[in-house]
Amino acid sequence: MARDKQDEDYVGPIRRLLVGLLVLVMFATFLIWRIDSPRVERFRAAVIDRVVPSFEWAMAPVTGVANLIADFQSYQRLAAQNGDLRRELQQMKAWKEAALQLEQENAKLLDLNNVRLDPQFTFVTGVVLADSGSPFRQSVLLNVGARDGIVDGWPAMDGIGLIGRISGVGANTSRVILLTDTSSRIPVVIQPSGQRAVLVGDNTINPPVDFLENPDMVRPGDRVVTTGDGGVFPADLLVGQVAMGNDRRLRVRLSADFERLEFLRVLRSNPRKAITDPGSLIEPDVALTPALAPVAQGAGATDG
Amino acid sequence: MAETPTARRWLGRLSYLAIALALMFAQLLPLETSPRAFAPPDLILAVTLVWVARRPDFLPVSLIALVFFAADLLFQRPPGLWTALVLILTEIIRARSSGLRSVPFGLEWITVAVGIFAITIANRAALAIVMTPQAPLSLSLIQMVMTILVYPVVVGVAYLLLGVHRPAPGAVDGLGHRL
Repeated sequence: MARDKQDEDYVGPIRRLLVGLLVLVMFATFLIWRIDSPRVERFRAAVIDRVVPSFEWAMAPVTGVANLIADFQSYQRLAAQNGDLRRELQQMKAWKEAALQLEQENAKLLDLNNVRLDPQFTFVTGVVLADSGSPFRQSVLLNVGARDGIVDGWPAMDGIGLIGRISGVGANTSRVILLTDTSSRIPVVIQPSGQRAVLVGDNTINPPVDFLENPDMVRPGDRVVTTGDGGVFPADLLVGQVAMGNDRRLRVRLSADFERLEFLRVLRSNPRKAITDPGSLIEPDVALTPALAPVAQGAGATDG
Repeated sequence: MAETPTARRWLGRLSYLAIALALMFAQLLPLETSPRAFAPPDLILAVTLVWVARRPDFLPVSLIALVFFAADLLFQRPPGLWTALVLILTEIIRARSSGLRSVPFGLEWITVAVGIFAITIANRAALAIVMTPQAPLSLSLIQMVMTILVYPVVVGVAYLLLGVHRPAPGAVDGLGHRL
């Protein structure tokens, strides 16, 4: 008993001090993250960039086997599915015919107008490596990164609709924040009424639309596409269709297949001014005057 | 007996680390990319609490900090906050572990449940104070309840498969100190 007491006298306080310090360091990290998020998120991206690709050799087979089992379960419904697909195919053939005619017409009109499509509108395709690992965050990790020229803020799509945007780029990986994440806000326009709104992720499969000026002009079934507003996204990427939720809110049924994200294409969006530090969110116009002066002089010289 | 107490302790630490890594790996698998209405239990937290309540000598503070900070970074959580809360909780339980040794299991379970409840609420409160966007409250509560419910299961599995049980009265560690 006496030895126990002696033991505690020396070790106890030092240990308590160290643990207290550790807890303080953790709280400090959290505060630093809250104050200077970009830098800490870059650190996080660097850590994930090192750790997750080293898991890949094990992740790929396990994911494959799990998906195989899921597929196997779905074989039970195969016959019914087959009938449905045949019916759908009939309808699709009619649509395809219409689409082909429209495409020809469109090509003719573009030719008549001498329109050039934006050559920057190309994409990089990536494979989903991992998801966010938590039910509270909706994001996936792609196997393309700064090495492939990925830049923060570019939109990511599957073959049909918008999935989300790039947020966090490492050398070999990049993270896509999905439209369903609670921190996702995307400016959209609802066709055909042309109402502008913001698509607000709320951790459900059908995110609601917010900041809608006149909800009466929007009907379930209307198409939702992105706008170029604010330079966030390129315009006219398909997002989904409007639907009325159980809670009588207008929600969007997303066109992209969020159940199974495997290959995503990241669109090379128009270059914007990158935000590198929190201080210069508003672009300083001090730099404008010296930059303009030599141009004006040069122009004068060639004129003269 | 071939196993010395020191070897057992290192074995306990390594098995904890291996379990934590395996759980992180399983959670990162891209199987479920659509939002769920249902949150699974936080198994890493449950395992940590079982270890710290039953065999605190298997689980140094630095190991807990390492595992949870890595999880914070990998799972897109605000880095540091959850780690700090878990460290505080494990220190409280560690201080009581010698008392918990002699009480019935129900009382141990209630103690741990109150702890999980407290850090879940503290986590949400801290996030609300610094105005971080948060997941729906229902999901957090479901996860909290699931973690509390899974605690006895983890205790059973750890006892049967890994031999993590409360030290017997009078048991000593490698240096002859009482546990």
